[in-house]
Amino acid sequence: MTTTMAHTAPTSGSTPKVGIIRHLNVFTAFALGAIFAIVIWRLSLALLPADADGAPLFTREDKITLLSMIGWFVGFMTGIGALVAPFRWVMGKDLSHDENMFLAGKDMGVKRYFRYTTDHKVVGIQYLVITMVIFGMGGILAMLIRANLGTPEGGWIHPQAYNSIVGTHGIIMIVGTIIMVTGPFGNYIMPIMIGARDMAFPRLNALSFWLIVAAAIPLVWGQFIGGISTGWSAYNPLAGQAPLGMNGYIMFICIFALSTMVAGANITTTVVRMRARGMTWNRTPIFIYGVVASVALALPAFPVFFLSQVMSGMDRALGTSFYDTARGGSGWLYENLFWIMGHPEVYVILIPAVAALMEMAPVFTRRPLFSFNVAVMGIAGICGLSVLVWAHHMYMSGWAPLLNAPFMLTTELISIPTGMLFLVLIGTLWRGRLWVTVPALSIFALLWNFMIGGVTGIYLSDVPADAFLHGSMYVTAHFHYTLMGAGLTGAIASLVYWFPKMTGRMLDKKLSWISFWLVQVGFNVAFIGMFFVGLQGQPRRVEAYAAIFNKGNLVTSIGAATIMTGMLILLAAVIGSWRSGVKAPMNPWQAKSLEWTVPYPVPLENFATLPVVTEDVYGYGRKSS
Amino acid sequence: MSHVDSDYFTGQWWKRTDVKRHAVLWVLLTAFIGYVGTEVQVRAIGAPASEAMENVIHLMRVFTWAAAPVAGFAAAISIGALMGERHHGDFPPPESEHAIRNSPRAIALWIVASALMCLFALVVGLIALQKDDATLLDAKATHVNVIGQQWVWNFNYPGDGGVRSQVLHLPVNQPVVFHVTSKDVKHSFWLVQMGVKIDANPGVITETAVTPNKIGIFDIRCAELCGLLHAYMQNKVIVESQADYDKWLASQPDTGKTTWTEAGGTA
Repeated sequence: MTTTMAHTAPTSGSTPKVGIIRHLNVFTAFALGAIFAIVIWRLSLALLPADADGAPLFTREDKITLLSMIGWFVGFMTGIGALVAPFRWVMGKDLSHDENMFLAGKDMGVKRYFRYTTDHKVVGIQYLVITMVIFGMGGILAMLIRANLGTPEGGWIHPQAYNSIVGTHGIIMIVGTIIMVTGPFGNYIMPIMIGARDMAFPRLNALSFWLIVAAAIPLVWGQFIGGISTGWSAYNPLAGQAPLGMNGYIMFICIFALSTMVAGANITTTVVRMRARGMTWNRTPIFIYGVVASVALALPAFPVFFLSQVMSGMDRALGTSFYDTARGGSGWLYENLFWIMGHPEVYVILIPAVAALMEMAPVFTRRPLFSFNVAVMGIAGICGLSVLVWAHHMYMSGWAPLLNAPFMLTTELISIPTGMLFLVLIGTLWRGRLWVTVPALSIFALLWNFMIGGVTGIYLSDVPADAFLHGSMYVTAHFHYTLMGAGLTGAIASLVYWFPKMTGRMLDKKLSWISFWLVQVGFNVAFIGMFFVGLQGQPRRVEAYAAIFNKGNLVTSIGAATIMTGMLILLAAVIGSWRSGVKAPMNPWQAKSLEWTVPYPVPLENFATLPVVTEDVYGYGRKSS
Repeated sequence: MSHVDSDYFTGQWWKRTDVKRHAVLWVLLTAFIGYVGTEVQVRAIGAPASEAMENVIHLMRVFTWAAAPVAGFAAAISIGALMGERHHGDFPPPESEHAIRNSPRAIALWIVASALMCLFALVVGLIALQKDDATLLDAKATHVNVIGQQWVWNFNYPGDGGVRSQVLHLPVNQPVVFHVTSKDVKHSFWLVQMGVKIDANPGVITETAVTPNKIGIFDIRCAELCGLLHAYMQNKVIVESQADYDKWLASQPDTGKTTWTEAGGTA
């Protein structure tokens, strides 16, 4: 408990002495970031030598752009105050007690949300807001895509801009879904759920959030200097010939990967080291397993992503040839690195969402979770297998045809642990007493969507069937069914379920109900339409298509508009309820986990006395004698 | 109820009315899911133009029917739960009358069944893969060099004439091996109705093979985002009788030098 010592020390009555960090907040961060970027931009413009004749396109401009973006990053992190404590350590000192309390956001009111605040509850709310912003932006881009696909000739968006919209939609939705559960709920709820006073490394927690804000700007910046015209996978050599905006993608991924690594180390340590007394692994809620599995899986995945983008940036700016076949590199190297991150990453998204619904299933059926052990085995099995399946994305790449069969084996094996998660959910539904609420209905929605996503995954895992389906809209529909139909459904259910603890108010029942149905119906309409055009032979990422795909695309667009309506209603419900919703009791769902034993507002250190756990949280139902 | 269960399989569980009801639901839903799942998808795919595509359709049928009992089971339990005891309102219903946390038999059954399904899918997949690979090694096959570049496909034909075309002509019922490469970025050579696809990588030659078995005009589309005009990187493939094919080949202008090679052309 060394990390909480500073917090628990008695507060002095004198006026707090707080150094430079008093003056640092999001505004100084943006200002300093902009200044650093501009200064480095001007300096590199003036000082960098011109390219030699015959150098690849853009090399000097790439250097300038990347350096300016690094300048932004360093300036922003300095301006937010991330470097204050490390700087003190270098000087052989540390932050004072008052400064630590200031950083924890004690008595700071709403200002703490705009600072480098270490309180896990503040970080959780920050994550929640940024997740909603990301989904809002990604949703707008999705609607632009659908609008452009309104007619077969494509239309009013220039192909370059269209490709950039598709790529940006892809990457920010991936980032949004990666953080949508482990960010808001993993930060706000998880420490309370395990009976801890804060995360193991509160400053790393603040760091992981502000790194995401720092990462966002290069991506936005990239949109104005040519965009990301490569799709979210940014395959080389296409990424090598893409405009300067590609550097925004590279910086975005590098900074975001840092954030994920920091958050992963923090959450893993917290859960392993800081569970309440008596909370053995058998008594640890399944949601905690989901969160840990997700971030632990990200730990090996994201450094590889980071590396792949560093090499991509070097190919562009320094004239290396990691991915250039003509000069000894290989495009397949990029594909391998990308998917070594890419396949664990989909389970990084999926597992915590499913685990959250497993956590809710006993609450809304008033009976114990069916077979906790199988749930843990399922999560562990998926984690273990998911790092061995990446090349099923490369069946048709020609990289190693002989490896197709082994990768088909590992991919199909993953259906066994995935089936275990299904078993736990349907086993819990069986003979329960259903309390019909949005989280309860979300369990059914997840089963439905994830079943479709899973079965279509069987076709795609099969090499000969994939020879037809790969690269078509069928794949797009398939992963939307898993990541959105299953993942986002779990995240929205988590929002409804934990909203009372995070805001002190109930989320509007009627509006969340309407939103649930609009989103689910719209979702199924949209993506069944997309399966259909995929089977007819429409490739992915096209801005124009043959006339036979008209109907399916129209259906998809109608579905997408319905989803948008539902999401806007959810947004209205969140904003309205947050401001003036019905006040929530301490435990509105009569659940048994620890987060429902603390009042709202949750005290700075969560618990006056740390709890001692004597049983698991699923003790519902009449016990057999 | 005085007796409190600790497992789903206690006493004469098969005589419980809810078990019977769910069993009926399961059978009906399995049939429904299997039938709708296959028919809708197969109809969307349309008529196949090669044996490889027939295999794809066959595989999708087999996998759908194999998955239908599992999907049907989950659906039966879900529908049963939705149709059963439902409570609305702001307060939770009373707790359930049992506290079943485990059922070793149910778990064992589920895991064994899913492992068998997995094995089945794997074996079926490997057999189909073997068939596809056999075409590649066919000694009678015609060899066509395919070169992708932003944003067209070029096809080089064997022989001294150096025939080069942007529309692919193929003789019916004759195996063809494609040697595929790219001049610039990655493309993906997709013969849509023939169910084969292989990426075109710059600097490397990849191979795929197919035996078209229907005369007609079919689609070639690029299936890998390749830049600005990716959506327009489409050609037609014309499958015709051997006589028509020979006539077409002979009618093509002689470019004087062939770029075709047995192992695939360099871009």
